[in-house]
Amino acid sequence: MTENRTGTVRPLLEAERIDKSFPGVHALREVSMNLASGEVHALVGQNGAGKSTLVKCISGVHAPDSGRILLEGEEIGTYTPKHAYDLGIAVVHQRAQLLPWLSVAENVLLGQMPARKGVAIDRGRANELTAALLARFKLDIDPEAPVARLGTPERQQVAIAKALFRKAKLLILDEPTAALDAERSERLFALIEDLRREGVGVLYVSHHLEEVFRLADSITVLRDGLLVATQSTEGLDQNEVVTLMAGRRLEAVGGRNDSGVSAGNGKPEALVLEHVTTDVLHDVDLTVHEGEVVAITGVIGAGGHDIARILYGLDRSYTGRVLLGGSPYEPNTPRQSIKRGLFMVPEDATRDGLVPWLSVAGNITLVDLRTISRLGLLSLRREEAVARRFVDRLRITARSIATPVRNLSGGNQQKVLLAKALAAEAQVLVLEEPTQGVDVHAKAEIHLIVRELAGEGRAVLVISTDIRDLLLFVDRVVALRGGRVAGEFVARETTYAEVLDLTVGARGVQAS
Amino acid sequence: MSTGTHTETPGPTGVRLPARFRNVDPFSLWPIAVMVAIIVVTALRSSHYFTVFNFENILSQVAPLGIVTMGQAVLLISAGLDLSVGYNMAFASICTGLLIEHGQPLWLCIAAGVGGATLVGFVNGVIVAQNRAHPFIITLGTSILLFGLDTQLTGGAPVDDMKGLYTAFGGNLPRGFPFFGLPSLTIPLVIVVLFAFAFLRWTPLGRRAYAIGGNEEAAYLSGISVKRTKIYLYTLMGLVVGVAGLVLAGQINQASFNLAQNFELQSIACAVIGGTALFGGRGGALRSLQGVALWGVVQNAIVFAGLSSNYQQMALGAIIVVAVMVTRAQR
Repeated sequence: MTENRTGTVRPLLEAERIDKSFPGVHALREVSMNLASGEVHALVGQNGAGKSTLVKCISGVHAPDSGRILLEGEEIGTYTPKHAYDLGIAVVHQRAQLLPWLSVAENVLLGQMPARKGVAIDRGRANELTAALLARFKLDIDPEAPVARLGTPERQQVAIAKALFRKAKLLILDEPTAALDAERSERLFALIEDLRREGVGVLYVSHHLEEVFRLADSITVLRDGLLVATQSTEGLDQNEVVTLMAGRRLEAVGGRNDSGVSAGNGKPEALVLEHVTTDVLHDVDLTVHEGEVVAITGVIGAGGHDIARILYGLDRSYTGRVLLGGSPYEPNTPRQSIKRGLFMVPEDATRDGLVPWLSVAGNITLVDLRTISRLGLLSLRREEAVARRFVDRLRITARSIATPVRNLSGGNQQKVLLAKALAAEAQVLVLEEPTQGVDVHAKAEIHLIVRELAGEGRAVLVISTDIRDLLLFVDRVVALRGGRVAGEFVARETTYAEVLDLTVGARGVQAS
Repeated sequence: MSTGTHTETPGPTGVRLPARFRNVDPFSLWPIAVMVAIIVVTALRSSHYFTVFNFENILSQVAPLGIVTMGQAVLLISAGLDLSVGYNMAFASICTGLLIEHGQPLWLCIAAGVGGATLVGFVNGVIVAQNRAHPFIITLGTSILLFGLDTQLTGGAPVDDMKGLYTAFGGNLPRGFPFFGLPSLTIPLVIVVLFAFAFLRWTPLGRRAYAIGGNEEAAYLSGISVKRTKIYLYTLMGLVVGVAGLVLAGQINQASFNLAQNFELQSIACAVIGGTALFGGRGGALRSLQGVALWGVVQNAIVFAGLSSNYQQMALGAIIVVAVMVTRAQR
């Protein structure tokens, strides 16, 4: 049982031994936690720890495989988002889901608009109701403004107001400050304090430990789908939580450069960024040498994703210079990047990287149809040969190479993407979140494969928010904070806590 | 094979399937099964039904639709579609027909008709590729524009003598081996079907159509030039539509603005009935041909059942709905 400042006896939410598996991943292993009305409860853990799965179970998106969830002592029998919402469980996502062409009031009161004589919508009354609600939480938003015209922070507030109008008892905030600047974050914190006073239970999912320690009464730490701790924040400190999140599970792979110098491995420079600056990035310098694996890490929005986009010709609005193999590199499209020998594996493999109904072979060879063509026609025999070579090489497990990739597990899908990079004959690989959403075993395999690829002379740039994971297989780590290079480490000589501290900890706060 | 965690078990080691020959899901052959059932039932009820003449009749009725459906299937696979098909076919026939009326050589007339339709396809492709608007609305616009153009060109009155085209497609092939007296438009149908089959299976462009339709973002990130691919695909569609338009005009010996009304929706329906996904990524030439065959057999069987053409519409409508439900259930 959790303790909390209001001292409520009966927990608002009880999750009992929640277990959930997906193909290839055991996402939650008998996780239990409680949350009381008026309590702010933080849910923390690295990417892939199971936070979002737990949130999805509570909010009715997934039904748990076993275990039960109780709200005010009543078991939730049906798991649908609507049912959860009707019971008073509301989720506010990073990108608030609203109807952009309706007004703030219409969004807040959606489906419950006041009507005159039950027919005509009473717009004036709707605006009054909304204005009153917004005023109660000191939100300065015009109820008549269309949501499309609002910025991300305001949309988030509207989404919260919408939940409150429906008398949400439990509000789940998923990375709520990811898109907010310091001032807006402060306003959100004030709002959360108000919610606490109103007796709303808040489940606060965040990477930012500082915020967590400032706001939360209690904290639940997940790691690899396991509950590591669920206790009051009093008597805990940030370092302890960092240690709890980190744990230890995989062994570091061998074959990393032992020179221990942050300047690299002494080989030629494969990729160089000089003074790269955009809206997000500030004067970023970065070098990756042949045969080297370098990681860029930082919280979501710190700039890693932006660097990947620039390198793959998806964003051209930057100043500064990029060199590939020593010569200037300004790709306009992914196609040009691939021709220059750079291949990017996107962050969300299933969404952006693979064609789900196309076979494993078809996906692998898609990057270079010319190699498998003869006289302008595809040679299915060549396709099979090429695909089989990479499937064996990367140890991809599939029923056959003709299987649609959608039937593969996350780890194997990730490997198909790496196979694409090989088929493209890329010398520089940019891998976004290469181990996200895959299980421990597949992670270890991907680590090994990446090392092998680097061992053959390729330069690999890993962009990942999973510090603990990347420390196991990269040579160097570049920490980004607020679009700036906050520090650089030799992976072997640093620790998870040291890097994490630089990306989320107190030291970097003033800098941004 | 490694011991990586996975949801699939490695297949028996002896079985080595060629990459593209996926196991055909027997379930996806349901249109053939339904068709056979209808043929058996109708044949039992009517002694005139199961004759060579009747099946030739069905074939000549659906051949132009079959040709267009092949093109439509390719576009659907790429998550596109073309609603200007009907009036573009008419446009092709009118270009050709007017030149025939002016006594131009037949090759020039045909080139003008096919070329005109191909140009329309190219324009569709450029607009679809450049704008992120849905091809539905763009080709609907082209369709209405072409309707006006077709009517203007003919002054509303059809061209009634297609001369050489009628000779080519109005009759039947010689009896005996190898043509067996089939309707002569079987030849263009077979050519287009084989072409579509080969295109989807063995050409890089066909493969790109699957990739774009399956996941446009992934295709782009794989270095595929999405815009150029779309332009090629719509241009090819224009070519196929041109061929279909002339074949139909030759068959009925007429070129007019209402030559091929509803062909756009019928071709989409046939492709979807056959198992081509409405929103891209999946489908094939032979599968879509199943839909055309079922379409023709149903239309014909309703006539044999002595029912009015209103029942044809009802039956065809019902088939579309069933097709969508079957495809959904398969997922």
